[in-house]
Amino acid sequence: MAVNGALAFDGVAFSYGNVAALRDVSFEVAAGERVALLGRNGAGKSSVVRLVTGVLHPDEGTVWVGDWDTAGRAPEELAWRVGSVFQHADQQLFARTLREDVSFGPRALGFPAPEVRRRTDEALDALDLHAHAAQHPYDLSPALRKLAALAGALALEPTVLVLDEPTAGLDRAGRGRVADAVREHADRGAALLVVTHDLAFAAETLQRGIVLDRGRLACDEPLDRLLTSAERLKPLGLVPPPVAALSVALDLPGRPVRERDAADTLARVAGGRSRS
Amino acid sequence: MSALHPFSLLAIAAALPAFAWILPAPTGGLATAGLALMLPLVPDPRWGVRVVRLALLTAAPFWLFLRLLHDGPTTVAIGGRITTMVASFVWLVAVLSPDRLVEAMVARGWSLAVAYVFAATLSAVPVLKARARRIVEAQRCRGLSPRGSVANRLRALRALALPLVLSALHEVDERTLALETRGLGAGVPRTPLAAPPDRPAERVARWALLLLCLAALIWRLA
Amino acid sequence: MRILALEEVTFWYPATATPALESVSLEVGSGEVVALVGRGGAGASTLLLIAAGLAPRVTGGRLAGSVTRGARAGIVLPTPWTQLSGMAFTVWDEVAFGPANLGWPEHEITRHVDRALERLEITPLASRDPVTLSGGELQRVIVAGILAMDPDLVLLDEPTAELDPEGARAVWRLVRSLAGEGKAVILATSDVDALPGVADRIIWLDQGSVRALGEPSLLAEDAMCEAGLGTTVAGLWRAAGLGAPYPLTVVDAAQRWR
Ligand SMILES: Nc1ncnc2c1ncn2[C@@H]1O[C@H](COP(=O)(O)OP(=O)(O)OP(=O)(O)O)[C@@H](O)[C@H]1O
Ligand SMILES: [Mg+2]
Repeated sequence: MAVNGALAFDGVAFSYGNVAALRDVSFEVAAGERVALLGRNGAGKSSVVRLVTGVLHPDEGTVWVGDWDTAGRAPEELAWRVGSVFQHADQQLFARTLREDVSFGPRALGFPAPEVRRRTDEALDALDLHAHAAQHPYDLSPALRKLAALAGALALEPTVLVLDEPTAGLDRAGRGRVADAVREHADRGAALLVVTHDLAFAAETLQRGIVLDRGRLACDEPLDRLLTSAERLKPLGLVPPPVAALSVALDLPGRPVRERDAADTLARVAGGRSRS
Repeated sequence: MSALHPFSLLAIAAALPAFAWILPAPTGGLATAGLALMLPLVPDPRWGVRVVRLALLTAAPFWLFLRLLHDGPTTVAIGGRITTMVASFVWLVAVLSPDRLVEAMVARGWSLAVAYVFAATLSAVPVLKARARRIVEAQRCRGLSPRGSVANRLRALRALALPLVLSALHEVDERTLALETRGLGAGVPRTPLAAPPDRPAERVARWALLLLCLAALIWRLA
Repeated sequence: MRILALEEVTFWYPATATPALESVSLEVGSGEVVALVGRGGAGASTLLLIAAGLAPRVTGGRLAGSVTRGARAGIVLPTPWTQLSGMAFTVWDEVAFGPANLGWPEHEITRHVDRALERLEITPLASRDPVTLSGGELQRVIVAGILAMDPDLVLLDEPTAELDPEGARAVWRLVRSLAGEGKAVILATSDVDALPGVADRIIWLDQGSVRALGEPSLLAEDAMCEAGLGTTVAGLWRAAGLGAPYPLTVVDAAQRWR
């Protein structure tokens, strides 16, 4: 297969013993693209993440990270290209201070000290975590631990960033921090694959939606189109997020799904109405 | 074998080391060690081989130390006994599922908290192993290689040690809280769920084992 | 019937000087659903631990003021993966762990476990090993495990964080039906958009203190929108410069728009 994308699944199947998790899954994510991976509980999303990191390897088909086939590659090798946050991120922290934890990746990859420091500072910056840098990871709230794990992944400066539920349990401010950090990282050319149930976050931050249904790829299309179609979402266990639902209910022109766009459209339409 | 009542499994795992120390060395210890190493092979040889390998690997350092400290005959005498203890314990951990033990103890009127501590101790090794695997996995995803040169391996081992200890300590607090939420401190006797059946033959066998131990002890002391 | 009363409760975690919760008073009666909203760290989780009787008894720390609980509480922690018993090798036994600890007769346990599995739509997982479940499946198991204990005071900390959108909706409907059965529910969630159809009362916690409390319409008020705690629709209306009062939900907005 010719590989253009930073990340590609080609006919991938995977089972845990006799539980089939993924069947014939193919998709591609280009450099700089921001993709949401959606689907019901147990649909196979986290399994996709584990396959990208090389913690698991496919039973059939191929996972490409750039021009690397993950088969025969260990996670520590893929870490040169892949940064990841697991669903239960607090199991992913292991240093005495947050700062030391964020710098774990660059140190493990053997970068010289000034480079480690630069990457660590930038990652802490990106998520606004400097205030907690000296704290013990276990002393942080679950929400901050999640941000900490993301900072650790960013410090790898990966070309592929895979995040599993990065906003679960975060408040609006926290979700905003995650959104800004990952958008910025994608703008620098990284491919972004985000597993999430938070469709509002997906609408604000991501461009394309891939939906898994019982281990199969059920759809792959631009999010703004997908999220405004309640009939299409329903059989996939999804529900339109509030902005998309509002766009449809008020029949806003262009059916915006992002808050900023919807507010602008709303203001414009309301202005036009009051003049007429 | 795992269909036996948990108390029977405990009795076997306790009786073998007892015989090992009571019976005259070196024959006694070597015989019980042989028995203990054969136990896992009975139900399923392929599974059993792995258990035996683990037992032998765990026992090996003891033999080494014994040999450094003692002469040949003493090494064999004590080594057989220690191997029996190690092999019995490894077999017990492999064959006894902690939830069945809890149910069996509760059915016999033990308090749940005591049963829980007992079972948690038995399952501490697999739990720790699972946690170590998770940490290593996460560290590898951040670029730490646990393979390659000896220096590499040592570095990875050091990186694992601290989070393993810290997370274990942290988990004690988490665990206490979690079990409270699941009614562990309810202060009423727990309803045994599907208490493992205790056949009369097994009871008789357990008593017989105990009597046999006592008899052996009296014979040795007399 | 009053199920929980907090009076002027202030709480300090061990080895901290600033209280996590300060002078909080609250009464919750049977059949009522109270939602705690606030920024992360505002004290919602702490309040739930206190309501459950776990803080300070299990967590340590110091509590001033008084807590009266008239019924048995059940709490779903925000980190469901830490709440597994570790003593069950099937989902069914995991859910039955709590009820068995309460010493109920076996047929009662079976009835409650089967019902809880059904309510969380996880009956097909009954014979799976809990440690092999996906994140959302596990969260459902824990919620089921707490509901199977049939608590009269149900405390839910981010119970839908890992659920798929349809599953989250089902849990919010379930909360209403629990209230209908006469249970009292206190929940903390960052999904404020779900609250208008679910909560009878909203409590806005800010740095450990109650900043405001009232009906769900509170979520459409200027101050809450300003703090990023209003509903999305209210926030949009406000951002579009359309005057107050803001609509609370999509349905409200559609009515207003016509
Ligand atoms: N270690 C395992 N052993 C056996 N089955 C597993 C294991 N891990 C996951 N599964 C099963 O594989 C399927 C896919 O799991 P996965 O974790 O990928 O789902 P998911 O889409 O991430 O779900 P969620 O939204 O709940 O996190 C599920 O049916 C799950 O029960
Ligand atoms: Mg998952």
